[in-house]
Amino acid sequence: MSTSTAADLSYLDNTGTDPAVRARLVVGDNDFHSITEKVCGIVEQPRTPPAWWVLFAISSSLTLVLFAMIGYLVTTGIGVWGLQVPVSWGYAIVNFVFWVGIGHAGTLISAILFLLRQRWRTSINRFAEGMTIFAVVCAGIFPGIHIGRVWLAYWLFPIPNQMLMWPNFRSPLLWDVFAVGTYATVSLLFWYMGMIPDLASLRDRAKTRIRYYAYGLLSLGWRSSNRHWHRFEFAYLLLASLATPLVLSVHSVVSFDFAVSIMPGWHTTIFPPYFVAGAIFSGFAMVVTLIIPTRKIFGLEEIITARHLENMAKIMLATGMMVGLAYSTEFFIAWYSGNRYEAFTFLNRAFGPYAWAYWTMVTCNVVVPQIFWSRRLRNNPAVLWVASILINVGMWFERFVIVVSSLSRDYLPTSWGYYRPTIIDVLTFVGSFGLFFTLFLLFVRFLPIIGMAEVKGVMPQAHLDRPGHRGHGDYHGDIAASEVV
Amino acid sequence: MSERTAPAAGEPGALYGYLVEFDKVDELLVGARAVRDAGYTRWDAHTPFVIHGLDAAMGVKKTVLPYLVFGAGLTGTVGGIALQWWTNAVDYPYLISGKPLFSLPANIPVAFETTILFAALTALVAMLALNGLPRLYHPLFTNRAFKRATDDRFFISIEAADPLFDRSATRELLESLSGRTVEVIEEA
Amino acid sequence: MMSPATATELGIADGELVELEAGGRSVELPVCLLPGQARHSLAVALGYGRTAAGQVGNGVGVDVYPLRTLAAPHILRGVSVRGTGRSHALATTQDHFAIDTIGFAERNARAGTLVREATLDAYLADPHVIHAHDHHPPLISLWKDHEYEGEQWGMAVDLNTCIGCNACVVACQAENNIPVVGREQVLAQREMHWIRVDRYFRTDPGLTMGEVEDAAVVFQPMACVHCENAPCEQVCPVAATQHTRDGLNAMVYNRCVGTRYCSNNCPFKVRRFNFFNYHKELAETTMMQFNPEVTVRARGVMEKCTFCVQRIEAKRIAARNERRPLRDGEIVPACAQTCPTRAITFGDLNDEGSAVSRSREEPRSYATLAELNIRPRTHYLARLSNPADGGAPAHAEGHADDGAHGKESA
Repeated sequence: MSTSTAADLSYLDNTGTDPAVRARLVVGDNDFHSITEKVCGIVEQPRTPPAWWVLFAISSSLTLVLFAMIGYLVTTGIGVWGLQVPVSWGYAIVNFVFWVGIGHAGTLISAILFLLRQRWRTSINRFAEGMTIFAVVCAGIFPGIHIGRVWLAYWLFPIPNQMLMWPNFRSPLLWDVFAVGTYATVSLLFWYMGMIPDLASLRDRAKTRIRYYAYGLLSLGWRSSNRHWHRFEFAYLLLASLATPLVLSVHSVVSFDFAVSIMPGWHTTIFPPYFVAGAIFSGFAMVVTLIIPTRKIFGLEEIITARHLENMAKIMLATGMMVGLAYSTEFFIAWYSGNRYEAFTFLNRAFGPYAWAYWTMVTCNVVVPQIFWSRRLRNNPAVLWVASILINVGMWFERFVIVVSSLSRDYLPTSWGYYRPTIIDVLTFVGSFGLFFTLFLLFVRFLPIIGMAEVKGVMPQAHLDRPGHRGHGDYHGDIAASEVV
Repeated sequence: MSERTAPAAGEPGALYGYLVEFDKVDELLVGARAVRDAGYTRWDAHTPFVIHGLDAAMGVKKTVLPYLVFGAGLTGTVGGIALQWWTNAVDYPYLISGKPLFSLPANIPVAFETTILFAALTALVAMLALNGLPRLYHPLFTNRAFKRATDDRFFISIEAADPLFDRSATRELLESLSGRTVEVIEEA
Repeated sequence: MMSPATATELGIADGELVELEAGGRSVELPVCLLPGQARHSLAVALGYGRTAAGQVGNGVGVDVYPLRTLAAPHILRGVSVRGTGRSHALATTQDHFAIDTIGFAERNARAGTLVREATLDAYLADPHVIHAHDHHPPLISLWKDHEYEGEQWGMAVDLNTCIGCNACVVACQAENNIPVVGREQVLAQREMHWIRVDRYFRTDPGLTMGEVEDAAVVFQPMACVHCENAPCEQVCPVAATQHTRDGLNAMVYNRCVGTRYCSNNCPFKVRRFNFFNYHKELAETTMMQFNPEVTVRARGVMEKCTFCVQRIEAKRIAARNERRPLRDGEIVPACAQTCPTRAITFGDLNDEGSAVSRSREEPRSYATLAELNIRPRTHYLARLSNPADGGAPAHAEGHADDGAHGKESA
């Protein structure tokens, strides 16, 4: 689709250092139709690429491993995991927090960047929202299966039952049920609603009956009416405004699981902002991990531009520093509080039996993002990709350190312990990646991975004539006429 | 209304309205203003993405959606707190950690989440309901050109049901715009 | 068994398999480091490594009879010890001696506040000496305190008379149908005892772990202390653990879904989880041995000390039938019943004349981790010692912590 030759790729570089010059959000010689062609083209390829099948085979096999592990767990008992007393929460909760954290990027990009008028979000928000849903699906599995009697999980919901009894609303776990449940629902709504116009595009381009009916049903008969767009935009704005506090609340509530307890290393007021910063950090890292190969494979460099990657690197740098600040604040407070249990927990984290996990975390989360200070390194997709994977590793370890190292040595030294995961723990975790990638691959194959309607809306062609903007206030003044390509 | 005989309005074959296609955003905006100024009410513009300024050009009234969402959110807050109060303090009270049966601090997170949940569900459902969606069939879908309304073309449609609709006058109005040919859409 | 100092000298690690050779014969044994074993001496246990003892006894431990001779039936001299570099996992219900450096230091520093002691001289000089550690901010609550009316059960454990014999552990296990989980589960730290005897070594200050040769031992029976402000209760999403009117921290087995959050939030780690169905493969005869008054817990639920609620209820019903109030000392939990030194007292805290209430008045009475404002219903009476030399203040090394504490109390 690009008009330039393969040799000359400089037009793809829209990164820049001069803040007075706004970067173009879509580069190359694209018009509305070419955007539709490119995005729908991915879904409409008549033959599924072999690489997709290979990846799908791997990820769906891993998904089967996940289900096999869950089956074994349910039939045998929680004892198949490495849990014990004192460490009664291990991989399952670590994985839960890890996946929920990843599941924050999508809504953050969609909602918060929308409210902040960061229009570069349009190229990546659909993708990130999809990722959010899949991460939340993975996250949702773990609290469900980690309970001792899985078949009674519904007791956590306020459903009238034969015991005439209700759940205990003082428990942070119950807050979690509501927070994660609401988050999953709202993310799904947001994702689906944003996709309706694009599904209509796919419907209108459908060449086969099945596609026509499938996308026709999913797009609910969307006919691009401006009267509909009016309400659609309002609903989108409202959802964004609702999702913004929601996304901040979800990880805060997850952090309450720890902060509300009385365990040293858990009982700390810094957790909500610390967890939210970490969630954004890991969420962006996962978006980068997925988006770099995807844009390469499907030739989307003109829509998901170098500038997009650079912006995400900057966000990772900023949130990485916040997380680093939180780590050091925890140490300071542990010392400053004069609480000997708290002080020991942190000494133990850094120099005790789990020191290896602690320093892995610090290296990946605090040291690695520092390379993004360099413009050259952050604009190199290969470097960025590797760094994003390391950040994911580090963020997993962060949760491991918080959950396991704090529990392993609490108040009474006689009940201290050392937690070791079993092979079942590890395979369940690996299997959850299988599920994540399976869902992701299906998404890439069957749904529009870029919000076409939104990208078109930020293209210069959409703004040739603009008297009296609608009050909801996207800021358009920044597109200079000379930038029209 | 003009010399329309059989079939009656809404029946297959009856006239649904006219449709005109535009290539460019500014042509559409000019057209929309013209139709608005002519006083039509049952007409619409169709665009592949949101066009800023089009609402003003069309004279679209602000939707009531925010009020509905606010009401739903309020219901969520009250419902969330009431649920927690009734279940934990009234219907089945039990003594937990020496704490009171009902104390607001512990009930804030759940009440917050129910607020968001109710409001968000309402935002989507009410948006669809106010838009009359899902409506899988629509006469406009019979037009081949209209398929590009979700791609890169812009349209204005005027319904025959509009009180001002007149086969020739409305056609003239639409032809005076800088769009392509005016298409006749029939019910099917 | 070997003292840590001897092991350091020989370059042997805890749990390492060593070859013992004497008189041309040798056996291979794992080493367990324990302070108190005399320097350059080892103790081995006879009677293990049996071959015809049935399912339970076969293959447990190592037969050391090959080393035993008529000439030296009890004490062997000139034994050579050689480390093999391989190791063996010894199943113990609490860490024995070996631990990393910072853990060692912290454990020693904490022992003094958890298990309190004083010499008789110090106690006579100031009866409140054992509260010298109580430096904490005032314990205030966000809410009005709950009024506990009627019978309120409480326990007192006298560390002065406790001899650490573990009889209470066994009695509890028998009374409450506590599963025996076996070596593999103990190694995985999943023992099920509702009451355990926590043991700490009191080493001389300033010694590193490898230098320790001798140590005093302090111990403390530890079961659920039935906190009034129980941290376990508020975190349970299904309210499977809640307070009864008579002040017990009750565990409702059939409501429990097994989130294990209560165990995480228990500062004493006295809650036990059924990781598997531990009762599944028992013989009929073994099943008949169970106490019919006590529920056998299913897989996936939490359990813990109930203060023998079945005994409380039985006595309460009997008293009601006889139309009389409960007498103090009438209700005796299994641990208290079995204790050979009567270290455990149980009774009504709202009855000022009860033995347990009177023991609260003693200056020796303290609650472990009271600074968390959890209000344990079990109190301990500090141990007093009367060493021949009058003794150094017994908790001096407990006070090794004191940079931080000094600040708080100021």
